[in-house]
Amino acid sequence: MSMLWYVSRRVAWAVIATYLILSLTFGLLVVAPGDGQTAFAFKAATQGGNVDDAKETFDEITGRDEPMLTRYKNYMVNMATLEWGWSYTRNQPVLTAISEAYPYSLMYALPATLISIVLGYAIGLYSATHQYTLTDYFGTFTAFFGISIPNFWFGIMLILVFAVDLGWLPSYYQTGKGVWTLANAKQLILPIIVLSTGAIAGNMRYSRAEALEYVHADFVKTARAKGADDWRVLVRHIFRPALVPLMTILVADILGLLFAGAYITEVVFQIPGLGLLSYKAIVQQDTALVMATTLIPVFIAIVGNLLQDIAYTVLDPRIDYGGR
Amino acid sequence: MMAADTPSGSTTAAGSTDRFEDVDWDDLGGLGLPLRTGLLVAVSAIYALVVTTDVFLTEGSVLSGTDWLFVLTLLVGAFFVAWPLAENRRLTAYYWRRFKKNRAAVVSAIYLLVVFTVGTVGPWLIAKPELNVIAAYQPPVFVSVDSSVPSACAGAVADGMCHGTWKYPLGTTSEGKGIAKLVVFGMRVSMQVGLITMLIVISIGTVVGTSAAYFGDLVDEVLMRYVDIQQTFPTFFLFLIVTYLFKPSLFLLITIFGFLGWGGIARLVRSEALQRREEEYIRAAENAGASDGWIIRKHLMPNVSNTVITAATLLIPSFILFEATFAFLGLTDPATPSWGQVIASGRGDLDSAWWIATIPGVFLFCTVLAFNFVGDALRDALDPRSEGDA
Repeated sequence: MSMLWYVSRRVAWAVIATYLILSLTFGLLVVAPGDGQTAFAFKAATQGGNVDDAKETFDEITGRDEPMLTRYKNYMVNMATLEWGWSYTRNQPVLTAISEAYPYSLMYALPATLISIVLGYAIGLYSATHQYTLTDYFGTFTAFFGISIPNFWFGIMLILVFAVDLGWLPSYYQTGKGVWTLANAKQLILPIIVLSTGAIAGNMRYSRAEALEYVHADFVKTARAKGADDWRVLVRHIFRPALVPLMTILVADILGLLFAGAYITEVVFQIPGLGLLSYKAIVQQDTALVMATTLIPVFIAIVGNLLQDIAYTVLDPRIDYGGR
Repeated sequence: MMAADTPSGSTTAAGSTDRFEDVDWDDLGGLGLPLRTGLLVAVSAIYALVVTTDVFLTEGSVLSGTDWLFVLTLLVGAFFVAWPLAENRRLTAYYWRRFKKNRAAVVSAIYLLVVFTVGTVGPWLIAKPELNVIAAYQPPVFVSVDSSVPSACAGAVADGMCHGTWKYPLGTTSEGKGIAKLVVFGMRVSMQVGLITMLIVISIGTVVGTSAAYFGDLVDEVLMRYVDIQQTFPTFFLFLIVTYLFKPSLFLLITIFGFLGWGGIARLVRSEALQRREEEYIRAAENAGASDGWIIRKHLMPNVSNTVITAATLLIPSFILFEATFAFLGLTDPATPSWGQVIASGRGDLDSAWWIATIPGVFLFCTVLAFNFVGDALRDALDPRSEGDA
């Protein structure tokens, strides 16, 4: 079986998974008792409108008065053509709201990802090559700390210490300070720390376990015997084979970790990114926006899984892609 | 499910002088377990009867659905973990010797035992924390704050500072609820979420994983493709959607994470069982005419149980963290007092009443950390294969 065949099968599978997930969310929307109709009517009532009229308008906009099959077809077509609906709390199309929000998410998520990869892998490799030393134990302890501390509580504690008590950093995010300014950098420090701690711990554990498989391998001993120095052994003989599984872990798992972590980080620090947008939509019962902001991470996860599997087969010649 | 069915392990592992073929298994009670099976059937029948009466037949049930699931979890734990451990003394002693090498894990286990006991028994003994505006913002004992912070200081006031009292050992929230009480109620929620979800996850995961490995071919293909789909859907976001569309509750959280979170365990069990499936004792059992169900139950499951237990222990903290996170976001039932909820309520008062957000978080952090330590030590103790390279 050729690799092309495997990759095309895998892509087809991702499309099927997307289709099933969209169908599932449609099903949930249909059976759910409250999908924003009440909130919409309430909003109309507070503005002096008629509740029943508002409910009818809502049904018309969302197409709830049409037969089920038509609704399903419309839903699928809208999703596929990126007609993701109208956010009535923000009075703008859902996609516009998202495109305004995502730069804020990137501002701290990208640095956090980079830091967690570099630091996590560096500490992990160092721990693996210096097993059972004090530094190794310290690294292991830090990993336990990182995976155990609840993100949101860690954020609050950092705010308590560095913003409230010491007053060094702002306690929440304010827009309008530019992007490449010192003020913006200062208010991004705490979110980046919160988001990267858990990811560093995860990367460190994986890379340590992965590198340990090669530290005592025969080819590493050979390299040492032939006089390669520590650095060369680490980079050329341990890091290279360990990189294949590490890269694939990175794509899917870290992506998932960052997304769930980003959600809570944005709520704690009031960063107006995708997470806070989604959270506000949930609180204000803005169904179209809730659906869009929760489905985007899901799609990214599907694509991430796809890339992970493909990367694995391309990078690792030992993988047999006949089986799956 | 636990190691009860592997007495051969105990004999060889403990380095006993008994010869394997001399051991009278029925005498040891290691394989037959008629008493346990009988009791198990009786208890399950009583449980089913009581739950049906309480939940479906009578108005205003004594325990909620979550509480009944928790009772079930405790029963399962007693029958499949505690009982076999008590019966196979030598095996237990062997595991304990390996486990206690890790001192951090022993301390963690004691801490978890305390949290479990207090969380299970405590909420019956103490009253639920009530709204009491007069007692708002009381500091914990040995801590003093400016007397302008609490509306009426319950303890001693000296030099304009309000000192904490033993009436509220951990202080109070902005609603005047005692944090010590809230912490105890939070213990129960965390333990319920962690243990019940774990039970659901490992039950489904083990059955699916062993079936896929044992039957192979089409069964394997169908089950694992389903797991693929389930795994691509991040549970965090699925729960966000569901909790938005339906009424959020602890029961909903446990069911969503329990019934959709077993994919990882199923894959792990499958890969482990695939190796076991090729071993000679399975072939021998097949040739002796054992049924598929018997082989899966008696030969595959006991031999993957160590892997499952370790993975399960490491799953519990993630469920506890998810619950705390959703409670913090206010996306769970507000009537269930949870650590995440208290932390959220103290967020606005960081500059005056730091203890509200801090104290429940310390308990949450310690609980999660303790489960991680115990899980790590269990892996070293239960899995002989991980010896050496860990």
